[in-house]
Amino acid sequence: MRSANNPEARHGSAGTRPSIGGLGAISGPPARQTKQAWLAILAAVLLLPVFVRYAVATEIWIFAIFGLGLNLLMGYTGLLSFGQATFFGSAAYVAGYLLKYANVGVLVALVVGIAVGAASAAVVGYLCVQRSGLYFIMLTFALNQMFYFTAYQWTTVTGGEDGMPGVPRPAVLGFDVHGPLPYYVAVAVLFLASMAVMKRLVESPLGKILQAIRDNEARAEALGYDVRRMKLLAFVVAGAFSGLAGVLYAMLFGIVPLEAIGFVFSGNVVFATLIGGSGSLYGPVIGSFVFIWLSESVSTIWQRWPLLLGVAFVIVVLFFRGGVVEAWARVWAWRAAQRAPTATVRHDAAP
Amino acid sequence: MPLLRTERLTKSFGALTAVNAVTLEVEAGSLHSVIGPNGAGKTTFFNLLTGQLTPTSGRILFDGRDIAGTPPHDVAHLGIARSFQRTSIFPTLSIFDNVWLAAFARARSWRGLGWRRAERYPELGDAATAALRSVGLEAKAARPAREISHGEQRQLELAIALAAAPRLLLLDEPAAGLSPDETQRMVALVRQLKGRYTIVLIEHKIDVVMTISDRISVMHFGSLIAEGTPAEIQRNADVRRAYLGGVSVA
Repeated sequence: MRSANNPEARHGSAGTRPSIGGLGAISGPPARQTKQAWLAILAAVLLLPVFVRYAVATEIWIFAIFGLGLNLLMGYTGLLSFGQATFFGSAAYVAGYLLKYANVGVLVALVVGIAVGAASAAVVGYLCVQRSGLYFIMLTFALNQMFYFTAYQWTTVTGGEDGMPGVPRPAVLGFDVHGPLPYYVAVAVLFLASMAVMKRLVESPLGKILQAIRDNEARAEALGYDVRRMKLLAFVVAGAFSGLAGVLYAMLFGIVPLEAIGFVFSGNVVFATLIGGSGSLYGPVIGSFVFIWLSESVSTIWQRWPLLLGVAFVIVVLFFRGGVVEAWARVWAWRAAQRAPTATVRHDAAP
Repeated sequence: MPLLRTERLTKSFGALTAVNAVTLEVEAGSLHSVIGPNGAGKTTFFNLLTGQLTPTSGRILFDGRDIAGTPPHDVAHLGIARSFQRTSIFPTLSIFDNVWLAAFARARSWRGLGWRRAERYPELGDAATAALRSVGLEAKAARPAREISHGEQRQLELAIALAAAPRLLLLDEPAAGLSPDETQRMVALVRQLKGRYTIVLIEHKIDVVMTISDRISVMHFGSLIAEGTPAEIQRNADVRRAYLGGVSVA
């Protein structure tokens, strides 16, 4: 990371530009908060295996990578995709097949998975961005169903309802990742790398263009941005992240279940991201934690755990449209106001 | 040669002809106003120029090239920028980013599109700051655009158009919804831009237009009914009838 985090040093003639509450002229959280968030994530990566099983901890970070991709579409571009499992599942099947029958290495499988995720997203995205609003959402859903039924019927390759079992997890460059701990470490590293890439992306010109499209599509078009092409680009990037997550998922459980390409899976990632907070870089990470932890831990104690998720969802939609991230920001603002009643509070929570 | 020329430009929506065979020339460096009562087809005319609408017939020659039917994002790259009658900004982005995005859209190279940090384009940062300074918003650069007043949002609207370094600036009622004081300030602002840009200004406050325009075209029910210098327009009987609510003059 570059050390130009100091908001005062941003842009050539920064001296003429004021900085309010440590905020640079560029939208985004102040550097101090970013640093805190990264420290929290790092701590979570280190401590999580102490509290939950390795498999669960690993699944949390895999699902978080999946959520990062969706969030680029949903949170940053304003495109609600109900078909992310298309890219996740396609990558899992193709890479799983190659791992199983062609004895390819893990690195090749990962690259292939990312490529398949991006390519399938390019095809699906091209069709979907022709429409907007409800029609867009229905298209993502319908195309997801097409992929699902293809996988369901093509039993010779995918195993249909039984899934594709026996996906191996070969050594990576001499490192054995067969045990749960080494695999956890590998996935955690890839998750942190994905976070870094996504952070870079949303702070780049492209990230701003996508947010501009979310805010006001007609104006973005009038400024000279080919809105459809930009949306398609967001799709491809989101697909690449989904693909990476899909391959990691297949290697985690040693199987590609049919559900990995199903619409419920697409819905789950939307759900998790909304609970965590869409539009915030960290929202899908928190959402993934909440979702996977609840589904893996509470489900063993209480069969009707999805009720809890439902309650959480209702609370988010009614009171915290920005999810856990917004709730957190509000608590902070409230506490700051309690400590210094006369000081002004910066309202940075979404409306 | 005029910078912009339309030839019998027409747009019909079913039975309604919103813009009817409009032929108009805008000289480079001039401020050309298009006036007319509400519903005269002025904004539709702009939407044709910027590609938001495709003309039913007719030609739009920009710098000698027919651009009719070109999509909006390509029209922007030709150097035509517009402001909107209804404020059209990016509400959650900072004021600075609103303007920066306009500058980036017209940047010579989009290298580093998905990777380079926005502050690594110093010349764009300077262009954005300059645009904000010219409308007097540079002190609020870091604020989200939704937080400023309506008057300031109108100024931002103008700054976004300026940041694109346009060859042709289309201003759609920049003073819409402003108080008399704010209107005065906006008129002063537009006056400052005169000579530096080729401007087409839509306005229906006729007194505003008379003082700052080089030429004025008057639209009524989709057609041009008069064109000339402010003094000529002031004397024109058809224009008076259109503004005093007379029946169709076409």
